[in-house]
Amino acid sequence: MTDEMKNIKMQEIMGKKKVSKRTVATIKAYLFLAPFLLLFSTMVIYPIALGVKLSLYGQRGARMWYIGFQNFATIFQDSRFWESFRIPLFLLLVQVPLMIFIATLIAFSYERLQKKGGAFFRFVYYLPYTIPGIVTGIIWSYIFSDGMSPFRTVIDLLGYSGTKILTRQHLPSILLVIILWAFTGYTAFIIYSSLISIPKEFSEQAQLDGATFWQIAFKIKVPLLKGVFIPLFIFNAIGAIQVFNEPWMLSKLVILPSNYTPAMYIYNSAFAQGRFTYAAAMGLILAFLTFLISLYVLRSAAKQMLAGDSQ
Amino acid sequence: MRKRTSVIIVMIILALFFIFPFYWLVIGTTKNVSQLFQKSLLPGVPNHFLENVTGVFTYENGVFFNWLANSFLYAILGAFVAIFIACMAGFAFRRFDFYGKKILFILILGFSMVPVYATTLPLFMLFRDLNLINTRLAVLLPSFVNVFSVYMMVAYWNQVPDEIFNAAQIDGATDLRLFFQVGLPNVIPGFITQFLLSFVGIWNNFFLPLVVLNSRVKMPVILGITTITDPQGFPVYNLTLTSSFFAILPLLFLFVVLQKYFKPQLYTLH
Repeated sequence: MTDEMKNIKMQEIMGKKKVSKRTVATIKAYLFLAPFLLLFSTMVIYPIALGVKLSLYGQRGARMWYIGFQNFATIFQDSRFWESFRIPLFLLLVQVPLMIFIATLIAFSYERLQKKGGAFFRFVYYLPYTIPGIVTGIIWSYIFSDGMSPFRTVIDLLGYSGTKILTRQHLPSILLVIILWAFTGYTAFIIYSSLISIPKEFSEQAQLDGATFWQIAFKIKVPLLKGVFIPLFIFNAIGAIQVFNEPWMLSKLVILPSNYTPAMYIYNSAFAQGRFTYAAAMGLILAFLTFLISLYVLRSAAKQMLAGDSQ
Repeated sequence: MRKRTSVIIVMIILALFFIFPFYWLVIGTTKNVSQLFQKSLLPGVPNHFLENVTGVFTYENGVFFNWLANSFLYAILGAFVAIFIACMAGFAFRRFDFYGKKILFILILGFSMVPVYATTLPLFMLFRDLNLINTRLAVLLPSFVNVFSVYMMVAYWNQVPDEIFNAAQIDGATDLRLFFQVGLPNVIPGFITQFLLSFVGIWNNFFLPLVVLNSRVKMPVILGITTITDPQGFPVYNLTLTSSFFAILPLLFLFVVLQKYFKPQLYTLH
């Protein structure tokens, strides 16, 4: 046997060893992954697959029959479904930008105060985020209800005793207040966390040139926070199209249509009207919209992880 | 200096806005219904706090205690199983170069954002076929999977340096020992953070129990308090407020005591 042949032989053996090593690793890995994979496939993947199947069926009572994509065709012409996106759209265009703007101002104020009570304000502003949406809905719907509202007294004094507070017309503004209350402090905390990780060198030169704190904040630091603004917009957009708990609680005090938000329309179609397959199809559309909105974050997360993996 | 003062004044006004509903809730628990309708911003005189508490505790033979116990069961067991499973999955991603790794990771990421409004309805159909509707298992089983926390656990495990594993491996440690005794202590802070976030998430989950439960003794507290009515079916505002107060107390307690573990999380990890 020549040395060359020996080398090839060696490589073959080494190669085989490598493969078998990877097989062993694969077996071990899937043993550790087994509990998760079992639950993931039965509680997440299977329901989605079942939802896809249901969405292709017509239904009356317990009877179901295959109808292809007809549910989707009906949904695209169902004005009640598209009307349910009014509130999410309002939140997306008004609440989300407003909240991120206010939260940014608050984050800079935290930075400015640092030792003078900054931690105290961070704690207080974050507190509403720990409260469940249902309880938030209960408290605020009572605060705004005409029977119990402390604002009622003020409004009466101003001479508007005939104007009711908790009406359907006022509900978008009321939702705006509630959601701003619940999430602004949390958002400010996230922005603040990345604000303090900006190296000092970025602002030092501007400071020497005589720029004020707020000039440095908006001209130098805000552009550096792009990496946190984009995911914030995306996660809040997802929250907006899925809003359910707060309007659900408000609907106990104001009469709301069954399609007030997409999630409420899905729930009411299934459990008030018994149209399960139609609701399943709408659920899939909501999931698809969510996926589209989150695609940017998911892609960058995948890149980051898989890049870190090869290092 | 003057500018900093104006910042503080604005911050105090905002703080009042954030505190106000908590204050209103607390004074609300001291009032009976007619006092609530007087719209005052002061505690009720005479004070009805004890009466309201007794009212909540004795409501429907003390069903409130069932709700609290259910919430603790769902949140503690659900969060622990979910995060432990996620932790094992994270270890697999960290330690092994296995077939299908990338695909699985992308799958996990892709399904981490699926809205409950899309999965809960098919789950309802599945549980109905399995006779699991109106059982505690119907709330627990979906809580055992937290896809997002798997992603976070992978990130935590990736921060554990290779040397730690290599040293133990030379000493002949098995994979189970590498997981429990060598690796796990390094990801405990992340484990606690994920456990707490998952605990709060399950405690606050309204939609799943709303869909899969109908008997009141199995409800978690968040769903239970929305069902409080008088025998005629009318809302009882003072009891709803007082029970809301008790429903958020454990969350406030956890947040205040374990503040350092409540780290806000986005997909961007540094």
